Amino acid sequence: MEHIITPKVEYVKLLDRFTSKKPTLGTLYLTATHLIFVESSTDIRKETWILHHHISTLEKLPLTSAGCPLLIHCKNFRVAHFVITRERDCHDVYSSLLRLSQPVEYEELYAFSYNPKQKEMDRGIGWKMINIREEFQRMGVPNVHWEQTDVNENYETCNTYSSSLYVPREATKPTIVGSSKFRSKGRFPVLSYFFKANNAAICRCSQPLSGFSTRCVEDEQMLQAINSSNPDSSVVYVVDTRPKLNAMANRAAGKGYENEDNYSNIRFQFVGIENIHVMRNSLQKLLEVCELKTPSMSDFLTGLENSGWLRHIKAVMDAGFFISKAVAEENASVLVHCSDGWDRTVQVCSLAGLLLDSYYRTIKGFMVLIEKEWISMGHKFSQRCGHRDSDPKEISPVFTQFIECIWHLMEQFPCSFEFNETYLLEIHDHIYSCQFGNFIGNSQKERQELKIQERTHSLWPFLLEKQYQYRNPLYKPSAINTVLKPNTAPFNFRFWCGMYNRFDRGMQPKQSVLESLQAAMKQKTELEETVEDLNQKPLHPDESHFTLNLPTKLSNEEHSPQTEVLGATQDSTEEHKGPLANGMQELVETISDGTEERENILDSSLMHQSASNHSDSLTLNKLNTQGDEEQLEICPNKDEK
Amino acid sequence: RPGTDRDREREREREPAMMSGRPGLRSSVRAVGPGFAGSNCCLSPQSCSPGRAGPRRPSEAALLPGELVVSESSNVRKCIATDTCAHDLYGTLLCTNFKISFLTNNVTPFQKCQYRNLLLAEHDVALTCVEQVVAVNDAKKKRKVLGPTQHLKFKPTELIIYCKDFRIIRFRFDESDPESARKICLVIAHYSQPKDLRLLFGFAFAREQSQDSADGVNGPDSGWQTPLFETYSDWDREIKRTGASEWRVSSVNENYTTSTSLPEYFVVPSSLADEDLKQLAPSFNGARIPMWCWHHWTGCALVRMANIKPGMQLRKHDRRILQAIAQSHPEKSGVFKSDLDKSLPRVLEVQAALVRLKQLCIHDSFEETEEKWLSSLENTRWLEYVRLFLKHSAELTQWMYNKNISVILQEEEGRDLSCVVASVMQLMLDPHFRTTRGFQSLVQKEWVAAGHRFLDRCNHLGHSDKEECPLFLLFLDCVWQLLQQFPAAFEFTETYLTVLYDSTRISLFGTFLFNSHHQKVQQSQDLASNGSLQCEGKCLKLPPVWNWSLQFTDKDLTLFNNPLYIGKSVTCVQNGTIKSFKRPKKNISSCFCSVYTVKNGRLSNQPDFFTRKNSTTQRPSRDLELNESLDQYVERCFRDWFSKPLDLHGLILPYMGSPHTRLWRQCYLRWIPEAQITNGGFISAFHQISLLADNIETLQSRLRQYHHPLLTGSPHVNKPRMYFRNEDFGEAGMPDCFSSSFPYSPIGNLCRRSILGTPLGKFLLTAARMWPSTETLANED
Repeated sequence: MEHIITPKVEYVKLLDRFTSKKPTLGTLYLTATHLIFVESSTDIRKETWILHHHISTLEKLPLTSAGCPLLIHCKNFRVAHFVITRERDCHDVYSSLLRLSQPVEYEELYAFSYNPKQKEMDRGIGWKMINIREEFQRMGVPNVHWEQTDVNENYETCNTYSSSLYVPREATKPTIVGSSKFRSKGRFPVLSYFFKANNAAICRCSQPLSGFSTRCVEDEQMLQAINSSNPDSSVVYVVDTRPKLNAMANRAAGKGYENEDNYSNIRFQFVGIENIHVMRNSLQKLLEVCELKTPSMSDFLTGLENSGWLRHIKAVMDAGFFISKAVAEENASVLVHCSDGWDRTVQVCSLAGLLLDSYYRTIKGFMVLIEKEWISMGHKFSQRCGHRDSDPKEISPVFTQFIECIWHLMEQFPCSFEFNETYLLEIHDHIYSCQFGNFIGNSQKERQELKIQERTHSLWPFLLEKQYQYRNPLYKPSAINTVLKPNTAPFNFRFWCGMYNRFDRGMQPKQSVLESLQAAMKQKTELEETVEDLNQKPLHPDESHFTLNLPTKLSNEEHSPQTEVLGATQDSTEEHKGPLANGMQELVETISDGTEERENILDSSLMHQSASNHSDSLTLNKLNTQGDEEQLEICPNKDEK
Repeated sequence: RPGTDRDREREREREPAMMSGRPGLRSSVRAVGPGFAGSNCCLSPQSCSPGRAGPRRPSEAALLPGELVVSESSNVRKCIATDTCAHDLYGTLLCTNFKISFLTNNVTPFQKCQYRNLLLAEHDVALTCVEQVVAVNDAKKKRKVLGPTQHLKFKPTELIIYCKDFRIIRFRFDESDPESARKICLVIAHYSQPKDLRLLFGFAFAREQSQDSADGVNGPDSGWQTPLFETYSDWDREIKRTGASEWRVSSVNENYTTSTSLPEYFVVPSSLADEDLKQLAPSFNGARIPMWCWHHWTGCALVRMANIKPGMQLRKHDRRILQAIAQSHPEKSGVFKSDLDKSLPRVLEVQAALVRLKQLCIHDSFEETEEKWLSSLENTRWLEYVRLFLKHSAELTQWMYNKNISVILQEEEGRDLSCVVASVMQLMLDPHFRTTRGFQSLVQKEWVAAGHRFLDRCNHLGHSDKEECPLFLLFLDCVWQLLQQFPAAFEFTETYLTVLYDSTRISLFGTFLFNSHHQKVQQSQDLASNGSLQCEGKCLKLPPVWNWSLQFTDKDLTLFNNPLYIGKSVTCVQNGTIKSFKRPKKNISSCFCSVYTVKNGRLSNQPDFFTRKNSTTQRPSRDLELNESLDQYVERCFRDWFSKPLDLHGLILPYMGSPHTRLWRQCYLRWIPEAQITNGGFISAFHQISLLADNIETLQSRLRQYHHPLLTGSPHVNKPRMYFRNEDFGEAGMPDCFSSSFPYSPIGNLCRRSILGTPLGKFLLTAARMWPSTETLANED
């Protein structure tokens, strides 16, 4: 609190970014964790909360007649443009935010003060929810070829890796240690994903310290061990995710890439993903395009192309697809690296895993994937996200790119993911929010030193609790594992409005299919429970009357006392705003053949509103009966009685 | 001009006599020998049992009444990929007076399911869909774009057919008889560029039909009861549906005595008598008197008109018309005139954009332009134009919706841009037009009846290149953009739009064949006076495109139904009863009229326009601020609308922001193998939603059955509406056959790489590059 000079400023204007609409007037509050703007003029209390950790840049623009403008860019791509009447106030808010948004110590991060009033035991259980060892067991590891090694138990071999690592059984400890000495930051080849179906594996490491001609026997043995762990294939693909030029430049610094002649049976391949600096600049250009006020088609497309952003996304996708093809179609194992093996390598390995394994396309599986590839293997979240005031050159949207790749896959395969866009955005938000401990620090070792598990909460149980919001109603789980084969032609990559223009209300589609389906699915589940309850009660004549009359009511659409039986659910539907609830109601309406009653509903919009709420619960019964066909079977019997 | 063609011609003239009295709509004809087709024998369907087909002989071509095989070449190879012949198909290439057909016993590799068109089989191309025919001899390195009446001095080893729907089809003649190969190349070129409208297949078909006693065309399901707006009553019903009480149907153009491009009946302000119209007509281009399109329930109307010819009476006539339109407004509140020629791209520009888009989608999008896809897309300008049309239409709706001011669309002839704008505006404003039936009536009203020059704009005869313009496609693209943003607002699906677009290329249907209805009547009469056709009434019986059962089975037609559609019955239409609506209070001086136009981006008011009435100089309406720039005003209106909850049965306005204007994948990329997403794409979501909708439908019918056992017998109740149904799939889940191109399958059309993804072939880089340039390469002479 010591950094807050003025906790409350009145008569602040919030400008709309795209329209010349009259700015909204309100009060600005500054708390220890959030900047809150409360609109004063509206009947409904409307609040905008901005987490300090989300603030990426602050700008005080030149004074205007209306006041002193303060422009805030957030890491989750919100842009807030305030105008504060008194320059003094503006300056106070500015300097407070400047300090609050750039914590110096880890301890200042929100996670260390966030208290959701949870029992200590639950917190502990929450941290244990995801277990990497279980995940490897799910993949079928350890097995005859792969085993867990204790070589890094105390982070002695590689301090950025986790302590439990999986390596080929054939690789001895001296081989591993020798190999790690020949790899940048000691990041020797370890198992990332094992493809049960054909024993092919994806491994990851950092670049070799090969320089122009250095060799390392242990490293060569290590790759040989990876090769022989997959008896079905005679070669290992070595994928260097960097552009060839970058890799060659590294040779001068004593690093570089594998020489195909020194290793037996490797096939070396560059895939050309640019480095973190190029990506950071590209994102910057993309955001400039987003901020264009009513761009022409030409400005937009050219700007988008010049940013290069979609090209980079495509490069990541191509690399991931290349690896998944090698594994699934050629039965070949793949070793992936970039420079240090914690940026491009993670993106590509996790993407390939997700293409190969439908488990990672579920809500829980996606958490496991992030935990396994990103968190435990030392993606430098704190540096890349700029959690603390540190070198701005280390900041780069590596994880954002990964999330965007998943979104593109979801666009191509709308029924293959258990989760929806909201889930991706939520995770993306929390990478920066520091509300939970998962992404704080740069390696597992660092997190242990910070005692993250003892002092903060884990994000995953929090997300699982709200998982109904993240469900994709179109998800179709399939019994057999399907490997996704995305099309990576350039026209499949388009600008992701939902991410980069997420907070600009005027940019979101007016009608979202997913939202209305989702609401319907949720309500359906609730009603299934209600009906289940009703079925379990002994049937009184009244209630049987209800069940019998339900369908008649569906076609009559009139208020009758029987609806009150469903009072509970009616409440829940009222929370939903018109379009959502209407959406599903009318979806069902459409299908029904009764036409006259629909006219009634639409006579006046007011009537419509109330009628839709009413008929919603009816709708749900229709949906519900669909889920529970027994209900239908029961009806005739009861009639006989 | 080769003699063979003249023979063909003669044979075609003779043919009807031979073919008469054949039962049924469809029959099978077996071609007898290669290269000799004119005298093919005609067999009844029973006699061509499958057992009679020889082992090397492909199955018989299915021919329509009036369809004749004109040339045939056997042992032709259809190429599938450019870099390998491993997947090529062997068969017989046929050309009839309707289509190019390739008959093969080979199964297309990797072929998954395809939507079956009853008129055109998997390898068929309608002649009207052919854009360019190129004959190639690779040994001599010769290539020639074939015109309608050209010679071919070299022996073609290859025939490449570029289609208007973005397909490229390539045949090789390595194993076939060179003479028959040369012949079929010339025949295809000749028949795909007929010199006269009456040589289009529709006429041959209609001729057959008129001799057939059993009339299969105007059967009970004829066009899903789509009003064609050829009669007085269709217009009258539309007036009543919209409640346009101050407008009337005029029969001043009966027998096309006034204008040859206007329909015989159309709607005009009640205050103008037919005599007035006759007097005014000559001063308009093409005598196109302003024509009413639509009426908003608040009283304002949408009107389209041609420019007034410059001259002494310009101002006088203009005033007269505007006054009459203003008079037809219950509040007499003025009109807004939009000069479309000034605010929208010209016809030539739209055509050039499509040419560039085609070039991009087919040739450049894969390897070479990987880096530059977005700017290449930008360079086509197509999306920009789509956006401009949407934007302009959306802005104009605001005058009617917010201001209750009538809108006049003015254009040189009033037959091109105004078709797009008028129909897009009505789609935004009136939910009726978002039903399938309503949409069809809209196309009929604003395009066919209003005299859009389909013959020239679609270039059916292949020699009006300068007139060609894909305005109808542009319109469908606009509808698709709306459908993207309002997935539950339309009764139909994007597949319906794509099919409709394809149907403009099927010369069987009369809907899109003529420049005006008058032309159709004229042609019929000419034919009748020749004695080659007896037509009852005054017109040919060409089936309307709305007769969907000619093209698809009932099951396939369910793919037109949008499972998300939020329906509302359209009962007010059928009975011809006047829909009741509330009249707003008349609180504005009823003698005041003004005309608004746009000048330099600002609204200009001409209150003194009506000289007699310039005594009243008050502001037209309270919230019209003339000092506000037009853009600001429109933006304010949009903002108001966007801040309100969505009513799918009211006005819908799309976001016109650049990220929201997208490329219509299904239409432009469906024939490109490289663009397919296997087991993915929108179709997989569509499938899931359909199953949900079907689930509900099934349950409802069961509930109904339980409660009203007597009602269930009616077929209307039991007809499934969804293409994908639960019973078809069971537990197995989604069929494996989906790709993003569904219901089309690009496999079988030429792709650059082999389907298995081996390296890039060289063929297209050289041979196909030139397309769609129409310049003839004079390698030969």
